[in-house]
Amino acid sequence: MKQEPQKVITKKGERFIIPIGPQHPALKEPGHFEFAVDGETVTDATVRLGYVHRGIEKGVESRNWVQNLYMLERICGICSHTHAMTYCLGVEKLAAVEVPERAQVIRLIVAELERIHSHMLWLGVAAHEAGFDTLFMYTWRDRETVMDLLELLSGNRVNYSANLLGGVKFDISPQQADKIRQGLAFLAERNTHYLDVVMNDMLLLGRIRGVGVMTRDQAEKLGAIGPTARASGVARDVRLDAPYGAYRMFKPKLILETAGDLEARFIVRLREIADSCRLINEALDNLPPGDLTVRMPRRIKEGETISRVEAPRGEAFYFIKSNGSDLPERIKVRTPTICNMGSVLALARGHQLADMPMILVGIDPCFSCNDRMITLRRPDGEAETWSWGQLCEYGIKAYQR
Amino acid sequence: MNPIVALLIFPGGLFVLTLGLAYEWVDRKLLARAQNRVGPRWFQPLADVFKLLAKEEVIPNDVNPLLFVGLPIAALAGALTAALYAPIFGLAPAYSFEGDLIVTVYLLSLLTLCMGLAGANTFNRFALVGATRTLTQLFSYEAPFMLALLAPAFVAHTWQISTINAYASTHWLIVTQPIGFLVALIGLMGKLELPPFDAPEAETEIVAGAMTEYSGRGLALFRLGKGVEMVVGLTLVAAFYLGGLASPLDFLLKTGALLIAIVIIQALMTRLRIEQTVGLWWRWGALLVLVQLLLYILWEVVTA
Repeated sequence: MKQEPQKVITKKGERFIIPIGPQHPALKEPGHFEFAVDGETVTDATVRLGYVHRGIEKGVESRNWVQNLYMLERICGICSHTHAMTYCLGVEKLAAVEVPERAQVIRLIVAELERIHSHMLWLGVAAHEAGFDTLFMYTWRDRETVMDLLELLSGNRVNYSANLLGGVKFDISPQQADKIRQGLAFLAERNTHYLDVVMNDMLLLGRIRGVGVMTRDQAEKLGAIGPTARASGVARDVRLDAPYGAYRMFKPKLILETAGDLEARFIVRLREIADSCRLINEALDNLPPGDLTVRMPRRIKEGETISRVEAPRGEAFYFIKSNGSDLPERIKVRTPTICNMGSVLALARGHQLADMPMILVGIDPCFSCNDRMITLRRPDGEAETWSWGQLCEYGIKAYQR
Repeated sequence: MNPIVALLIFPGGLFVLTLGLAYEWVDRKLLARAQNRVGPRWFQPLADVFKLLAKEEVIPNDVNPLLFVGLPIAALAGALTAALYAPIFGLAPAYSFEGDLIVTVYLLSLLTLCMGLAGANTFNRFALVGATRTLTQLFSYEAPFMLALLAPAFVAHTWQISTINAYASTHWLIVTQPIGFLVALIGLMGKLELPPFDAPEAETEIVAGAMTEYSGRGLALFRLGKGVEMVVGLTLVAAFYLGGLASPLDFLLKTGALLIAIVIIQALMTRLRIEQTVGLWWRWGALLVLVQLLLYILWEVVTA
């Protein structure tokens, strides 16, 4: 059967749309972007999310508090420790349990190693999007160092499973601490080199300087968070604004850039790697003695709480509600990507098509983190957001047939 | 030389195809080593071509099937024909006449032109954008590249490749015309769409550019064509600027050195946006070569 001819360019005034994703070599993660272009210039951008909606928030309501730890850790592969830690902080607050200091510091060490891991991964991806594959290969090679360190500590390279409700699962021995120090020294040296490359390579600068500029006002209005916001001069870091866990003892530096372009985002992330190295070394030197865990009740007292953690990409936010049983009533997760996504769409207009992958990657998007709602599209293409009630009704009807 | 042998086996046909695959492998392997990767084994380009040739070629709806099938053939044929006029492997060209330099340069452009048309022939959005970029890039590097190849012709007072080659074997033109050499080498990279001039096939933006809809035979032929073009281009640049090609050893050493230079440039550079590419060629490439030509003409006038 012959299909109707697909119209690409037809009448004057009709838009030429370049789709990116969900299956596209630029995005190994499933998100769908539509960039309307005029020649090479982007005139409009829309995003459609929800391809990896896994029903985790519903899933946690039928698992008990301990099982949820493992479930939530798997929201994201890169910042898995962050998710587990945010959840633990919330549940511990509800249960009014004080985690031992040593466990808090170990959590911090793993969290900062994870930040290095995430930022180096980002650097590689961003270089690849810009077409600088050599930088990509080298950063990912060096990232192995930090993954090896995490494996040394936890036995896992990706989902470290470091947290327990009320503490952590493993201790850090002096030998392990030495290994970590060695690894960090190597990483800090490489990081200086990469910073040099990013700030001085003329061709790379040609692709990142002045591209995707987000002013401070825009960043505030669009609600940008994390390194994306800090690159625009917004002093926003949960570790400093609302210190949690061991961040009360060890203070991270606030790294700010004012340019707001892609170069600034590169520099902020690279400087954060250096600061994380410093923070980990400080924490290793001052590792307090003591237990690793405290006893947690199986049922959590009735109540609700929020917990916030500075994930590598920005603020991770959990709302946790308990009804006093061993199952949570509701857990709501808001991840940094969803807050930053608005900035991509706002910044895209007026840029070249070639800059789109870079602007998109500039916020370090994590799609498996952010997919929490469903937008349905009718065949004619109009997007429409459905409420919970509509979805239920639709589901019941669909299965009655 | 027997025309049939010349067309099918040497210097056209089988020999150039094999050499093209071999050079493609060296390029990929060295680039991989420069990037701290392992890289493919020696038969990988050959295996790629065999795999592609064996695959079903999907012809999309609503394209002109004649063009869709014919363009890759024309592209490869153009590149192979160009090989007949170049001193491949350090031996005399199979065919030669006064003015064959111009013909060869145009035959080399045929591949890019065919790729652009192939992209514009399909209704794929990525292919359309890729085709636009391919042709834009063609118009930007073509003039400087041609000027860079014409400069030796000026010096040798001939438009015949074999004569220029003979002249160059006693004069290392890279010493007297370094700008021309650089522009020719980098122009060749633009022609082959190698990084940093790979905006037309930037996978992170437009998938595979003009080639997006090609899967089987067509893609294999285009790839072979690129390999052949790489060999012919390297041969021309080496013959003109690196002291001529007199023997097979000469050929392997000089084109090999050029290949290494190309790999290093590829490894060090970030992809340019298409408007940056155009700007680079017209603002710098064309201008510098023209200045060099002007200096040469002045020199001729003064010493006459």
